[in-house]
Amino acid sequence: MKLLRQTYLLLRKDLVLELRRRESLLTMFFFGTLLLFVFHFSFDLVPEKVTEMAPALLWLAFLFTGTLGLTQLFEAERTNHCLDALLLSPMDRGALFLAKTCFNIILMVAVEIVVVPLFWILFNLRSWEGVPLLLGVAFLGTIGFCVLGTLLSGVTLKARARELLLPLVLFPLMVPVILATIRCMEAILRNGNIGDAVPWLRLLLGFDVIFVTVGILIFDWAIDV
Amino acid sequence: MQTTVPKNRRGYLGALALILVIVGLYWGLIHAPPDAYQGNAQRIMYLHIPSILTAYLSFFLVFVGSCLYLWKREKRDDILAYSAAEIGVLFTALTIVEGSIWGKPTWGVWWTWDARLTLTAILLLIFVGYLMLRSLIEEESRAASAAAILGIIGFLDIPLIHMSVYWWRTLHQPPSILRPDKAPWDNIHPAMLTALAINFFAFVLLYFYLLSLRFRLGEMTEEIKTRRMDRGR
Amino acid sequence: METWGYVFLAYGIVWGALLLYLFSLKRRFRRAEMEVAELSSAEELQKHAQK
Repeated sequence: MKLLRQTYLLLRKDLVLELRRRESLLTMFFFGTLLLFVFHFSFDLVPEKVTEMAPALLWLAFLFTGTLGLTQLFEAERTNHCLDALLLSPMDRGALFLAKTCFNIILMVAVEIVVVPLFWILFNLRSWEGVPLLLGVAFLGTIGFCVLGTLLSGVTLKARARELLLPLVLFPLMVPVILATIRCMEAILRNGNIGDAVPWLRLLLGFDVIFVTVGILIFDWAIDV
Repeated sequence: MQTTVPKNRRGYLGALALILVIVGLYWGLIHAPPDAYQGNAQRIMYLHIPSILTAYLSFFLVFVGSCLYLWKREKRDDILAYSAAEIGVLFTALTIVEGSIWGKPTWGVWWTWDARLTLTAILLLIFVGYLMLRSLIEEESRAASAAAILGIIGFLDIPLIHMSVYWWRTLHQPPSILRPDKAPWDNIHPAMLTALAINFFAFVLLYFYLLSLRFRLGEMTEEIKTRRMDRGR
Repeated sequence: METWGYVFLAYGIVWGALLLYLFSLKRRFRRAEMEVAELSSAEELQKHAQK
């Protein structure tokens, strides 16, 4: 499929660039870890409270870290009119959207895979059995976040106060993802599996599917950054 | 080409709106009886329910304008979206204020994170984000497309936001003595229903009157801009 | 009946805000109309001057 192939090419370009300079990845990783420390001081996390608050704290940390990644998303294309070149090329624009979204997802997942175990260690959480499932749910939430985030990141490229504007417009729209992801994570930590949080899981999946589709259509059709 | 409501018809719309507003005020404040449980505070509902419905109507118009603009790229669709957003912010903010004031005598608090108020607050944030996006992008056409995209995404997201907030509030009812979601539908007297209906139509007409004014203003602003450019100012 | 106080507060704020918005709209409207008229007359003058 042409779309997938183009997506792959664009994604590979971004990954190669990132692996060489590691700007986004390192800043995001350190920022995520820093947030954990800030949370520890702010919330005075005692062992009893930690398990309760873990999903929310983790997801908050990922949200802010992800926003950091989003503001840098089109950084490579900013100079030398690269973005114009990409848009003028016969490339399917939906591919650009998918590639950027996947790129941000990969960055965030890389951070999550490190930060979650780190959280477990730093806050002496006893049981590790829910962690893989937790990461799985975080992955679904990350998809939702990156899909809308990429769309809005593209749209706000030439706006003033962009670093402030992007979270301002993105976060209210993220409410379903925030609620669904945290409820699922709470259920996992409580019961070891999703259990009664299945409706939330379905909502999250629905969100992802709807906005990936909408994103591809809009990028294809309407973006004139 | 004039696509707006012509001045005369706008005047009639405004006059009709005014009449309904006055009738609605009378019916809501004087004619309708006070509620059995909430007392006279229930009269605030004659403002609150029409407000929120009008706010949602506004958002729908933002959505329609945004879709049309992205499709046909005609300036007037963008003006429609922008106008609807501006007036929508006003009605949404008023809804929150009304809900809060209603809450004080009814629940004892100025604010609670119940589903309705929370949802309205989120709606306000989305509207405000839309307006900020417009004002922070310099180039007109880029601002219009950006806003249109946000308008479409926002509208599509609203049902999901609704579901998630309602589930959150009903599945995890905090252990409190307040029952925030007790709707004022219990014991609804026919005069109350009429008051509600009249006020609803009053609000809708008023909304469309304001919208037509704002839309015409948008068209004139656009005309001024084009003419100035033509004259090389 | 203290609840009337809240009722008047709510109604006052709402109708006050709506009236304020209406006035601000009308003011912007009038200003725009004046500018359009100004531009029209300036264009008329230009046209006459070119003839």
